[in-house]
Amino acid sequence: MRSMRVSIPLAATLGVMFSGGVGAAFADPVTITLNSWRTEDIAVWQDTILPAFEAKHPDIKVEFAPINTNEYNAAIQSQIEGGAGGDLITCRPFDVNREWIKRGYFESLEGLPGLENFDKTSRAAWSGADDKAYCLPVAAVLAGFYYNADIFKELGLKVPTTSAEFIDVLQAIKKDGRYTPLAYGSAESWQLAYNGLYSIGPAYWKGEEGRLGLIDGKKKLTDPEFVDAIAAFEAWKPFLPAGQESLNYADMTQLFTLGKAAILPDGSWDINQATSTGLNIGVFGPPVPKAGDQRYLQEMPDMGIGINAKSAHKEAAKTFLDWVAGPEFQELYVNAAPGFFAMSSKPVTYKNKLAQDFADLKKGAELTPRLALDRLSAGTPPLDDETWRLLQVMFTKSDVTPQQVATELQTGLASWYGPQKK
Amino acid sequence: MISPAAAYRNLLLFVLPALAVYLVFAVLPLATSIVMSFFQTSGASGDTFVGLANYERLFTHPTISARFWNALLNNMQYFAIHLIVEVPMGLLLAALLTSGKLARSEGIYRTLLFIPATLSVVIVGFVWRLIINPLWGLVGFPLLGTESTALTTISLMSVWQYFGIPMVFLYSALLAVPNELVEAANIDGAGGWTTFWKIKFPLIAPQFGLIAILTYIWTFNGFDLVFALNGSAPGPNYSTDILGTYFYRTFFGSSGQLADLDLGAAVATIIFLTVLLVTSVYFWLIQRRLKSYSV
Repeated sequence: MRSMRVSIPLAATLGVMFSGGVGAAFADPVTITLNSWRTEDIAVWQDTILPAFEAKHPDIKVEFAPINTNEYNAAIQSQIEGGAGGDLITCRPFDVNREWIKRGYFESLEGLPGLENFDKTSRAAWSGADDKAYCLPVAAVLAGFYYNADIFKELGLKVPTTSAEFIDVLQAIKKDGRYTPLAYGSAESWQLAYNGLYSIGPAYWKGEEGRLGLIDGKKKLTDPEFVDAIAAFEAWKPFLPAGQESLNYADMTQLFTLGKAAILPDGSWDINQATSTGLNIGVFGPPVPKAGDQRYLQEMPDMGIGINAKSAHKEAAKTFLDWVAGPEFQELYVNAAPGFFAMSSKPVTYKNKLAQDFADLKKGAELTPRLALDRLSAGTPPLDDETWRLLQVMFTKSDVTPQQVATELQTGLASWYGPQKK
Repeated sequence: MISPAAAYRNLLLFVLPALAVYLVFAVLPLATSIVMSFFQTSGASGDTFVGLANYERLFTHPTISARFWNALLNNMQYFAIHLIVEVPMGLLLAALLTSGKLARSEGIYRTLLFIPATLSVVIVGFVWRLIINPLWGLVGFPLLGTESTALTTISLMSVWQYFGIPMVFLYSALLAVPNELVEAANIDGAGGWTTFWKIKFPLIAPQFGLIAILTYIWTFNGFDLVFALNGSAPGPNYSTDILGTYFYRTFFGSSGQLADLDLGAAVATIIFLTVLLVTSVYFWLIQRRLKSYSV
């Protein structure tokens, strides 16, 4: 009995010594943290993605540390400026990130082998003024139109490809009277821009040509292609549900998923909600002004990951990013979070049918990010916020013309943006 | 027998914990925020003293100042609706509760009427948004989506939620009115109406003034209901933007807009001064003249 009693603490002590010895011999696994604003992705990372990475790299442990979306920018700024923050930081696209690069938050990624899987356009949202890459592109979102295939069949409608056909379809649904043509409301102004104007507009301003034209000052928002785009968007007004001025994003999604509306202009991120009631749903891309015109599609870079310049584990962080750049991560992520699309030039297959349909819209279409987020919103008033506001004014008042919206947008932009000041 | 010195020492000891918490969590942040409004903290060269530059930007930049004045005017309207509807409603209900007409059900009514004040703003916002939703609700008119009605609608939701506060405040003040006075008035032939306005109301006037100024402080620090309903850029066309949401947008940024901490600190200081100024003027000029009768 006595020997037993002695041996237990002894074994424990030996055990501790032993495991300590082993740890020292193989070096403790390095733990790196990843900050993200996607609190809803916590299960995806912890259960699927990180185990897959750690299985290949047992010497590195990654901790997913999300911060509330609304507080993310402020939190990251105060943490990094206080010398803290995760080793890996999820990067907002364009202007916010450009400011962060300027303030020296990130380590340059030049020389990272995985970077070669991404072309220049994909990297553009996260490169600095020196044109170097600071974040690895992770995912983009697309915008288009969900439609209720059963309603289309019932009314004998075909998926529209031109603006005229689009209006005809809306007219036919309205005339039938049983369904709301467009599940769309203007209480949340962001989606008037993101799911409306920035989705159908590129076909008028020719995607990158118009967007970059505004950036380098060669084009103005009062040019006919922009006014036409705003007018094409205003043409939706008669087809919206009654009281649309007060309907928010949740209301319009609900109207569609309850089968009471035929078409929902929305982003790919809403795939899960749009299909949640098991309706027979298809998706089509923004119509073109005239038959035979080039198709355009809004592909918005949404998420990149960069390395904190003050991180103590840069090598481990680089190993992780190199893995993120590869096809294994890309497939895991886009299939775990349907609605997000890989930006890599390597092919990726989507298990969600609607996600695959969305991805197929990219074929033959020219891709372009949201109009106002690159440089044009880095001053006061930000063009993006002004676009939200003025489109909402146009949709909630009857006496505001597309021309007036364009003029006010241009005045606001020209008040601070160098290349537009003339 | 405790010596006066020891008594003061004990007093200090008892006050110290509360004072420490108050200093660390209220006075210090306030002071830091005021100091911050005179600095440029996000520049490449670290913190630089810029004097009144942040304030100059706040009051002279065409967009920033226009939005500020808009938020201030909206906030005045938000306060006015509370003052005109919520406080009198609280007074009326408190008068009814103490009138003796409700007899035994007084307690039930008191509880029922106070319930909305205990609800979370998120719930109040959500429920009211559904009730007045043009698709599923009772009202076909887009109250929240129309510039001319949106702010009044939100103000009334807030009134609905919080009328219980002035009610219980004035209720307890009315309870303190001595019964002998009321009885004496009755014997002299005063009716309910006269008794209330000639006897009870003058006695609770200081509390009535206090709840009015508290309503001012609460509405000028208001934020949550507007934010819960309309987010940080409250539309349509900023028609429901109040100082709280304006500050939030400036300090924490909104989508696509970088947070400007220094300008935000300047906004916070201006809000603080607005509240401080009016409150001090009120206390100097009005509250002192409201006599509190002692009986």
